[in-house]
Amino acid sequence: MFYRLSGVYHTRYQAARALWPIAADRWQVILLLALALAAPLFLSPLYLGSYLLPWMIWSAAALSLTLLMGLAGQLHFGFAAVMAIGAYSAIHMTRAGLPFELALLGGGVSAALIGTAFGFAALRVKGLYLVMATLAMQYLVDWVIINVPAISGGAQATLRTPAVSFFGLPIAGLEARYYLALGWAVLLTVFFLNVRRTSFGRALIAIRDKDFAAAVIGVDPFRYKLLAFLTASFMGGVTGALLAFCYYRAVTPEQFSFNVSIQLVAMVLVGGLGTAIGSFLGAGFVLLLPIVLTNLVAALGSAGILDVSQNLMAHLPLIIYGAMIIGFLLFEPLGLAKIYDNIRKYFLVWPFRHSRS
Amino acid sequence: MNWLRRTTRVMALAAGLGTGAAMAQDAPIKFGLLQDFTAVYTFVSGEYNQGQQDYLALVNAEGGIDGHKFEAIVRDTGNQPQRGIEAYNRAREEGAILFDFLSTPVSRALVDQAMKDKVVLITALHGRGDASDGTVFPYVFPMMATYWSQATVLIKYLEDNGGLEGKKIALVHIDSPFGKEPLPVLEDLAGQKGFELKAFPYPSPGNEQSATWSEVRRYKPDAVLIWGAGGGQSVSVREGIRNGIDPENILSVVWLAGTDAKNVGADVMTGVKRFEAVSSGTDPAIIQRILEKVVEPGNGAGDKANVGSSYYNIGVATMAVAVEAARLALESEGAPLDGTKLKAGFEQIKDFDAEGLMPEITITPEDHQGGGAGRVSRWNGEAWEPVSDWGAAYQDIVRKEIEDGAKAYEGGN
Repeated sequence: MFYRLSGVYHTRYQAARALWPIAADRWQVILLLALALAAPLFLSPLYLGSYLLPWMIWSAAALSLTLLMGLAGQLHFGFAAVMAIGAYSAIHMTRAGLPFELALLGGGVSAALIGTAFGFAALRVKGLYLVMATLAMQYLVDWVIINVPAISGGAQATLRTPAVSFFGLPIAGLEARYYLALGWAVLLTVFFLNVRRTSFGRALIAIRDKDFAAAVIGVDPFRYKLLAFLTASFMGGVTGALLAFCYYRAVTPEQFSFNVSIQLVAMVLVGGLGTAIGSFLGAGFVLLLPIVLTNLVAALGSAGILDVSQNLMAHLPLIIYGAMIIGFLLFEPLGLAKIYDNIRKYFLVWPFRHSRS
Repeated sequence: MNWLRRTTRVMALAAGLGTGAAMAQDAPIKFGLLQDFTAVYTFVSGEYNQGQQDYLALVNAEGGIDGHKFEAIVRDTGNQPQRGIEAYNRAREEGAILFDFLSTPVSRALVDQAMKDKVVLITALHGRGDASDGTVFPYVFPMMATYWSQATVLIKYLEDNGGLEGKKIALVHIDSPFGKEPLPVLEDLAGQKGFELKAFPYPSPGNEQSATWSEVRRYKPDAVLIWGAGGGQSVSVREGIRNGIDPENILSVVWLAGTDAKNVGADVMTGVKRFEAVSSGTDPAIIQRILEKVVEPGNGAGDKANVGSSYYNIGVATMAVAVEAARLALESEGAPLDGTKLKAGFEQIKDFDAEGLMPEITITPEDHQGGGAGRVSRWNGEAWEPVSDWGAAYQDIVRKEIEDGAKAYEGGN
């Protein structure tokens, strides 16, 4: 009824293999994209700058991490460090006079190189041991940034982003920064959706499911594990640079601390491993829900409905947030993306009860 | 009948708008106290914010400033810049003209934005010390001794009590930008005064410092400055005493309070000294009035036991300065206040000591630190008792640091 499946027959391979073979899905995506493009027209600067803009950038970061964790199955608990390398490289490059477009690429490349160097650990260890190795990366990068004044920017450890322009568009106003972030998030989404359909993506999935079985069928684990780290770190590096230039407009070490790495992992897991929509939903959940809950509880408090101590008032949003994470994962262990998938499948055949896939 | 219902509705709406406009005229002056109540700064923000809210409640209970009342917008930011940015933008839409984040990451992330939006950012005991240069940071007010000034006050105390020539001073600090902040000032002073300085960093967050302190013991320092915050501070004191350092020779940055003494053992810590920017205890006149007019009637923002604690009083002092600035601004610029007028009010503050709660501060368009005065107090087993008078020291060295930092900021750092 909603998806109007009857009468949809694909007569060509291209049509059957399209990203969204069902017209209703296509329309939903187009509608969302149109809403995102028109967002500066109907959203106030508060919601555009403090909600939608960071959401887009963190979704891009979650997409980069889910390529590594969801597709290739390589756990990474130091992804904020990868983003930090991208951000610091890009900012130092623009300050040295490189054009912003090249500095973004440069940030991605340096993050990819250093990220891949730590990816070598993945050749030897798996699972929890790889978590330890990537944690080591987080702490090493943090330490280097704090202890090398040439990188961190000296006593105050703050580097402000210089004024830049992206192909002639000055990245100064909120709208310009939002569109750049949106563009990158859309680019990564399209890349991520397509990479699953390439031999590279299938090789990553083979590695994820069993690396020596993949080796038996001719997928070189050495090459593909490193390529997974390289690709994800490049994407993460550029995202880190955009986080600095489009959102914070200054780089400090705390912006890429260990907590941020854990938040990124939470985004990927709560959203649903290895899905594009999960990255968006997970980033929204982890990034925006604490803010919404804090404001909600504060509103209830000032309306006199909730009469509790200041201390409990501050912690109540955290309690609710924690309960919601557990609740959602108990309800559907595969994450928010799976909840969306279940709902979609229900409506695919509605008003009937069963669907085939 | 439909038209009748519609007209009454429109009239009711118009009436509502009218009262809304009438209320806006004597709308309260709003301060955004968007702090970290749940993550890193929990050791201070609870008491600090309680002091701020209680002081604003006191001002309101006493009729406000010429009838202008104050309102605090309190939100948790969890020490996360992105949450701080959201809370800032929301509070600004609600009309806040002064902000206090009490979180270095959040206030660093918002220094540029606050200056662009022309709202006042107070950064007492956190944030960028170089923001004391009012010519570069017109809307940022550290308004209490920066970490550089705290270091000079502590060194001056050592100089006055036993001299510095040929002494060995250890700086045991957390390995972070905050921990390293006093180093340049101390190095300058070491060269000038002929003492030997050695820095001993311990890894963040500072729960484990034993390796660092055994090195300190081997160095045999004459005095130890401890430079950390939160839980790491009581660990520092405990490890120092365990490694045979006389508590009398341990001097701390401002972040050492009665709670830390309880954690270490109140009698064990006897003799440890700290920098103090604001008097502690319930004796100051303002605290007495808060007890009488806010806490006793049951309008306090938190536990009565916190009233008079070190951080509570610091919170009271920040708001006392802010309200004084608002008073001066209302006097010279007139209502309604905005960020620019409030800034002008801050810059007129002269010899203000909050009825003896804090050292006299004078803020000028150039100096937003307010003089950098403080004193040293000593834990006597039960409370902090001052062992020196209010005063600033070696402000020339501090000023150089401030101006260098401000220059670096202009260069993009």
